[in-house]
Amino acid sequence: MKNLKNYILSAAVLVAFMSCSKDDDNPVANNVTLEFNNTFGDTPIVLGDATSSTATKNTSEAGQIHHFEEVKYVISNIRLIKADGTEIPYNVNDLDNGATVVNQANAETLSYVMNDIPVGDYTEIKFGLGVKSELNTLDQTSFPNFYANAGENDTEMHWEWGTGYRFTKIEGFYGSGNDDLSIHSGSTLTDDEGGNIVQGVDAYRDITLTLPTTAVVGNSAPTIAIKADFDYLLSGQSHTITLGDNNATPSIHTAVEMTKFVDNLGGASTIDSTGMFSIISVNN
Amino acid sequence: MKNIVSILAVIVLVTSCSNDDNYESTPFNNPELNISIPEGFPLLNNSFYTNKPTTFGVELGEKLFSEKRFSTNNTISCSSCHIQAHAFGDNNAQAIGIEGRVGLRNTPPIQNLAFLNFYNWDGSKLQLENQPLVPIITHEEMDSSILEVISKIENDAEYQDLFEKAFGDADITSERIYKSIAQFEYTLISANSKYDRVKRNEDSYTQIEAEGALIFEQKCASCHSSELFTDQSFRNIGFPLNTDTNEAGRARVTGAIEDYMSFRVPTLRNIEHTAPYGSFGQFATLRAVLDYFDNGVIEADNLDPILKDNNNRIPLTEVEKTSLIAFMKTLSDNEFLGL
Repeated sequence: MKNLKNYILSAAVLVAFMSCSKDDDNPVANNVTLEFNNTFGDTPIVLGDATSSTATKNTSEAGQIHHFEEVKYVISNIRLIKADGTEIPYNVNDLDNGATVVNQANAETLSYVMNDIPVGDYTEIKFGLGVKSELNTLDQTSFPNFYANAGENDTEMHWEWGTGYRFTKIEGFYGSGNDDLSIHSGSTLTDDEGGNIVQGVDAYRDITLTLPTTAVVGNSAPTIAIKADFDYLLSGQSHTITLGDNNATPSIHTAVEMTKFVDNLGGASTIDSTGMFSIISVNN
Repeated sequence: MKNIVSILAVIVLVTSCSNDDNYESTPFNNPELNISIPEGFPLLNNSFYTNKPTTFGVELGEKLFSEKRFSTNNTISCSSCHIQAHAFGDNNAQAIGIEGRVGLRNTPPIQNLAFLNFYNWDGSKLQLENQPLVPIITHEEMDSSILEVISKIENDAEYQDLFEKAFGDADITSERIYKSIAQFEYTLISANSKYDRVKRNEDSYTQIEAEGALIFEQKCASCHSSELFTDQSFRNIGFPLNTDTNEAGRARVTGAIEDYMSFRVPTLRNIEHTAPYGSFGQFATLRAVLDYFDNGVIEADNLDPILKDNNNRIPLTEVEKTSLIAFMKTLSDNEFLGL
């Protein structure tokens, strides 16, 4: 049966190629690249260990100096919105082809290329910080590539006990003593046998950003530069957080503390739909 | 054009072949097991009804339960920690996975799970079918992945045969692995201890056991209630704290500060055989647990109201402790333990 599918697919692809090949000048689709810039304010983040002299230091609203050794987050459920309001979803139910782990330590992951975006003028982008609950099951069978990428030893974005993905993983240091800072987020939702969510915390956040310049997909393949300003982690729209023994290390998994970080980074859904994200530029 | 013709030809070829795939297969005959529900036990978990134990489902689940290829280096299986003689728990303070890696918590026994609505110390899972993946992928346990497991066993003729008998064809899928293990676990019912026989008027307590039963009613049964000896609530009872920063008890799941360091009330069935006690094995003996309650537990904002109302203690005399332990030993089910 699998073979049969492949043959049908190759036939379809063949037909598609044949029909396309004439009109190179008028493409029906093109790429859109998302470029993630992880910053403290306007300063790009440079990672470093506890005693690093090159790492970018930031001071929170509460006056705590901090810097990071590791910054990772999952982007999924990407949708581009046309001027007329039409929403073009990009493989929103396929983590292998529609989700990515942005890892500050790996330059390749800072650009995410979306293929075959239909021609059009786009004025808004939506995406998820994290993985929406119905796909957040560590289902290796359905999404082997995303599972593998997220599970790599240098990535560690599996949240095993919750059988879901980590949505953000930030390791670093704070205060004059360079105490450990280790902030992980992820959902702990659990369904009953009927698929209704009956317990847990949803750490997924839907982000909506208006594009300052229309992204024109056609002969041009736009690049949308997105800023993720990690100053928001401790000094966000929702909470001003002072790190201490009870919230700087993974006991924030208790989710009480975790939710504050999640709200700061991804917005507290009703009030704030941008969190730490903003658009730097659109290059057509 | 030539290509399309040849592709179409191949399609015809492939479809015409697939007809005889099942030619040799025997009729699918896999009767449901008759699980008898012990008198007075609570309702089954609803998931049971969508995954009822079958003859071959359980046989397959039992085999998978002891499959060492579940671990990345083929050294441990479920049954390495879930040992029958310990009510499918073990005697380690905290679970020990591959290469001697130490887990966060004490291995929970696997008994009467068909009747529970919350699994694990923190109730993170509500259906048994959703649990087997956790130890397979956890670094401190088996550190593997479900596709790695499937790739190791899918060419094993014995498994192909059992999957076919259990599910109608030889496809080895993650869902079938989880379901068959859950089916096996559903059959692990302990209800033939001395306590049960006394209830059925087939046996009688010694004097000290009878005294213990009375004290148990007064001082323990508000939490260790029902025939499962747990009310399945989550409580902070002021036990010594696990300082691992990953531990938060039930709050890890709910995010509610009032659940901080709360754990599911454990069953006391076969408790004689599941030492040490506590979420990370804080207590070596039952006596140590009772001494601790008697001396007073750690204060906490969300300490269980029953303890708060009693000065953070469960006062017990030495004689009462001895009789309570004698009563708790009547909860041992040697048939279930295979002793």
